Amino acid sequence: MAVSLQKGGNVSLTKEAPGLTNVIVGLGWDTRQTDGAGFDLDASVFMLGENGKVLSDASFIFYNNKKSPDGSVEHLGDNRSGEGEGDDEQVKLNLATMPADVKKIVFSVTIYDADTRKQNFGQVSNAYIRLVNEADNKEIARYDLSEDASVETAMLFGEVYRHNAEWKFKAVGQGFAGGLGAMAASMGVNLG
Amino acid sequence: MSSVSLVAGANAPVPKEALTIEVLLNPQQLSGVEVDISAFLLTASGKVRGDDDMVFYGQPRPGNGAVALKTSSAGRAEFEVNLTTLPSTIEKIAFTATIYENRQTFGAFQALTVTVKNAAQQAVIDSNLPANGMKESALILGELYLRQGQWKYRAVGQGFAGGLKPLAEHFGIEVSDPAPSPAVTPKAAPAPVPQPAPVPKPISLTKITLDKSKPTVSLDKKPEGFGEIKINLNWNRDNAGQPAPKKSGGLLGGLFGGSRSGGIDLDVGCLYELQNGTVSAIQALGNRFGSFNHDPYIELQGDDRTGAITEGEWLRINGKHWTHFKRILIYAFIYEGVPNWAQTDGVVTIYVPNEAPLEIRLTEGSSSLGMCATVLLENINGALKVNREVRYFRGHQDMDKAYHWGLRWTSGSK
Repeated sequence: MAVSLQKGGNVSLTKEAPGLTNVIVGLGWDTRQTDGAGFDLDASVFMLGENGKVLSDASFIFYNNKKSPDGSVEHLGDNRSGEGEGDDEQVKLNLATMPADVKKIVFSVTIYDADTRKQNFGQVSNAYIRLVNEADNKEIARYDLSEDASVETAMLFGEVYRHNAEWKFKAVGQGFAGGLGAMAASMGVNLG
Repeated sequence: MSSVSLVAGANAPVPKEALTIEVLLNPQQLSGVEVDISAFLLTASGKVRGDDDMVFYGQPRPGNGAVALKTSSAGRAEFEVNLTTLPSTIEKIAFTATIYENRQTFGAFQALTVTVKNAAQQAVIDSNLPANGMKESALILGELYLRQGQWKYRAVGQGFAGGLKPLAEHFGIEVSDPAPSPAVTPKAAPAPVPQPAPVPKPISLTKITLDKSKPTVSLDKKPEGFGEIKINLNWNRDNAGQPAPKKSGGLLGGLFGGSRSGGIDLDVGCLYELQNGTVSAIQALGNRFGSFNHDPYIELQGDDRTGAITEGEWLRINGKHWTHFKRILIYAFIYEGVPNWAQTDGVVTIYVPNEAPLEIRLTEGSSSLGMCATVLLENINGALKVNREVRYFRGHQDMDKAYHWGLRWTSGSK
């Protein structure tokens, strides 16, 4: 039984799934049922060091940079509409090969073109983030953030982080003003 | 307590008590545009359980009345939502606005405002949805919903360009296509086929206006009868001088329009004739209110002399006993006030379960005649034939004579 997290809650992945190495981080949301521009949500990943900044620009994983240099974080592609069963976007993590200076891996979701389309997370139904153990395909933790999301257009969904010798996951659910660009800049990414 | 302002997408908690939801359009009226404001009661699956989960002009207080459309006038509606008496399977109530016959999009309006008031009538939430640029003609304005034991309200502002039909379907309501025109196309007589079991008809959202060009509608005989046939008389009580705008079809404006001042007391009543030859009348004058569950199976619901009841006057016919009737003549008469039918802008609407509401407007009235024979219901071999009359008379006696009813009339007062 997966742990269902509330905003701010955390869970020890090491304890929930002993021996865990390969994690699939799934992000999902319901496709728009009303008329108007569809919701195109993009997942991005920041691999952060001790100082809360990305190790390098290449440790910002998103639709234009799908794999970290070490291969331990891989974005499996962009779903443009939220259609289909299950996760809409997935990111693969390999905790065993994760560079030692990566202290925290932050997962964010931004609404593509939110300002022009006048969209925000409060209009998206059933948005969630979940962590699945790739070895047995079992869900370890889930955070359903529909209700914590509101007028935001960019959100930090959750983070996987080192805590002593453990890996833990925290449900963040925090909005971020200014979209993906501002979010990336705040985490030390040099945007061209 | 100050009110929380929500933009589309945002939500806030509401107290679990009797709430009032007020919807206001800005501008309140646009020429040629009629907006219907409705509520849908939804289960956890986001769908209605049945027709009773729709609260709209044709059904202002369905089910146990936990959600009721209290007032509805041009550009403004007020719902009473009692969260303490709401059936426990209902987890969401969506409030919607739809433009009748998709004649416009909401982009023609400036804004749509929803205010949620608590039991003490204090505003706790307001949401102002800018309408500029909207392409939708049916909108979900907002929703009350249950989230982990807490009731909340979310401003939505999303909808459908295709109008009421896709909106209703979104909530799990099957919508029949508009009733076909009664024009008869000559056809070869079909071979007789065994009558299939009656299939429940999807709820119809189309209003049918009976007018001079199309005065008659006939509803097929039903083995179980017609259920509760409700007849509403409403009128514009605002006789301050400006005549109500002319509308073709639709209930808003003419039906609910205008302020409630003014001195017109319009009464609804009926003459009935049973199959056994019994003739009589139901009306407030003379205290002949009848009975729904007993003979004569027609009941007049109260008398609105003050104009405080904004939904006008109701006459209910127990359609289960339709076979017992021969004919019923529905009339409206002016008990007090000047007979000025143009200004009164009366409308009689007939609601038969699972049928489109039938609307008859009291037009073309001569100002000196206070009695309008509005519509005649006839039992034609079990079918219900509805014929628009709209004939004006000096009073009961003349009307009775014209229709050969044969009652003896004496003057009375109430």
